Amino acid sequence: MGLEEKLPSGVLLTSVEKVAGYARKGSLWPATFGLACCAIEMMATGGPRYDIARFGMEVFRASPRQADLMIVAGRVSQKMAPVLRQIYDQMPNPKWVLAMGVCASSGGMFNNYAVVQGVDHVVPVDMYLPGCPPRPEMLIDAILKIHDDIQDMKLGVNAQREIVENEQLALAAPSTLEMKGLLR
Amino acid sequence: MNVYTPIFVLGALAFGFAAFSVVIASFTGPKRYNRAKYDAYECGIEPTPQPIGGGRFPVKYYLTAMMFIIFDIELVFLYPWAVAFDQLGAFGLIAMMLFLLNLAVPYVYEWRRGGLEWD
Amino acid sequence: MSGDITPAAPVVPVVPDGVAELDIVGVRRGAFGVEGSGDTSGFGGLVSPVVMPGATPRPFGDGFDELADEIELSIRDRNLPVDSAVEKIVVDRGEITFHVRRENLLEFARMLRDEPALRFEMCMGVNGVHYPDDKDRELHACYPFLSVTHNRRIRVEVSAPDSDPHIPSIVSIYPSNDWHERETWDFFGIVFDGHPGLTRIEMPDDWVGHPQRKDYPLGGIPVEYKGATIPAPDNRRAYN
Repeated sequence: MGLEEKLPSGVLLTSVEKVAGYARKGSLWPATFGLACCAIEMMATGGPRYDIARFGMEVFRASPRQADLMIVAGRVSQKMAPVLRQIYDQMPNPKWVLAMGVCASSGGMFNNYAVVQGVDHVVPVDMYLPGCPPRPEMLIDAILKIHDDIQDMKLGVNAQREIVENEQLALAAPSTLEMKGLLR
Repeated sequence: MNVYTPIFVLGALAFGFAAFSVVIASFTGPKRYNRAKYDAYECGIEPTPQPIGGGRFPVKYYLTAMMFIIFDIELVFLYPWAVAFDQLGAFGLIAMMLFLLNLAVPYVYEWRRGGLEWD
Repeated sequence: MSGDITPAAPVVPVVPDGVAELDIVGVRRGAFGVEGSGDTSGFGGLVSPVVMPGATPRPFGDGFDELADEIELSIRDRNLPVDSAVEKIVVDRGEITFHVRRENLLEFARMLRDEPALRFEMCMGVNGVHYPDDKDRELHACYPFLSVTHNRRIRVEVSAPDSDPHIPSIVSIYPSNDWHERETWDFFGIVFDGHPGLTRIEMPDDWVGHPQRKDYPLGGIPVEYKGATIPAPDNRRAYN
């Protein structure tokens, strides 16, 4: 039925959005996609010292069918890219992707034939987290920023309006190369 | 009040919660089709094609199940005799020993014919 | 971009101790992708020969003489061509390398495994090497062997020309070499005849080219910053 996409706008919708957002962020289950060194930091974040169980995220689902958030932790090689895409496709909506570390965000120090230069060549990414590897505290910060995004996520008519708005902004935005004068 | 009422209530609540979750999810959830969502999960690679109908089953499983049934029924007959052992006395013992001897003959037959070998 | 700039003084290669003969297998010009230009780093005008130690004369010392004698005896016993099976023996920095002709490699490996005096039970894989300037001997395959009974290590090196990059596969003698040979095929293009399934193992199955050869580009892309683009590492400092 997909009522989520057909709700009428108004005060009721805002309350439903808040409740749905709170429920979704309260138990966001990550999918294990630890590929390299960043996976060690992700494991440390799951450990007792930098606990992500307090956010309801200690269950790293091995199967993508039960996962909400795919944390791509580590460098993605050319051979791994279709596997990454297949796992992403097999996750049910709503789903989010966090590119953890510089290798997942942009290829990192590996600017060569074997590594995909940024996992956004393969899947749409919601949060980029730099670091080599990022400390567990940095990963938790990125996860909490995703939580804020999820809390503010819109449903129904508001979501469609937001998509149109974002598209207009993206079409008008300058490319990275044109943003001059920002380096000191 | 019946002693088991709390358990029945708990069972009803659990069933009701599960049913409610599934029904509400099918109503409210978005339906976004993706061919990969219907593929078998095989760690991200294309799944190995399975033979039609699930392939052939080894017949060893059927044989093991049959043998299990026979000797399990034998055990079932042993239980009431064990419970009422005192009242049955020597007559019961002799009768049960004859019964077990009766079943030992097919057991030895199966053993020697190789029914207990898996391969 | 200017042409070749001859350096003021020739660059002397670092010669390892105790080596009588040197083989020059190539010349290196420039470094870090800079070719022929006089950039401020000074690497552009670098011209240096790539040297490998040549055949070592007897006596080898360090117990290698007995080993070489045993191998020669075993070669005679198995009726291998004594003079041409082993092209040269190099003893350098405490390690001994036997350069074996590729036609005799299978028999040589079987001899290493089966002879009681040799007994090299473990083959530690195949390493490929590419010398683009060494005509007719461009691709080398290095096999390190370990003998557990005699506590010895040797290296066997086989070469093949680029026009005919075939080397017999020793998987029938040392089965653990399976994936190592696949990797060497993947990265260097050495075809191992007799391998039970020589396919790419680390690059995707439909990859074209052999990445670890010297003439294969690094494949990096320019990195985009706000207001600037930095080229890939092998293209930097080229002032053209």
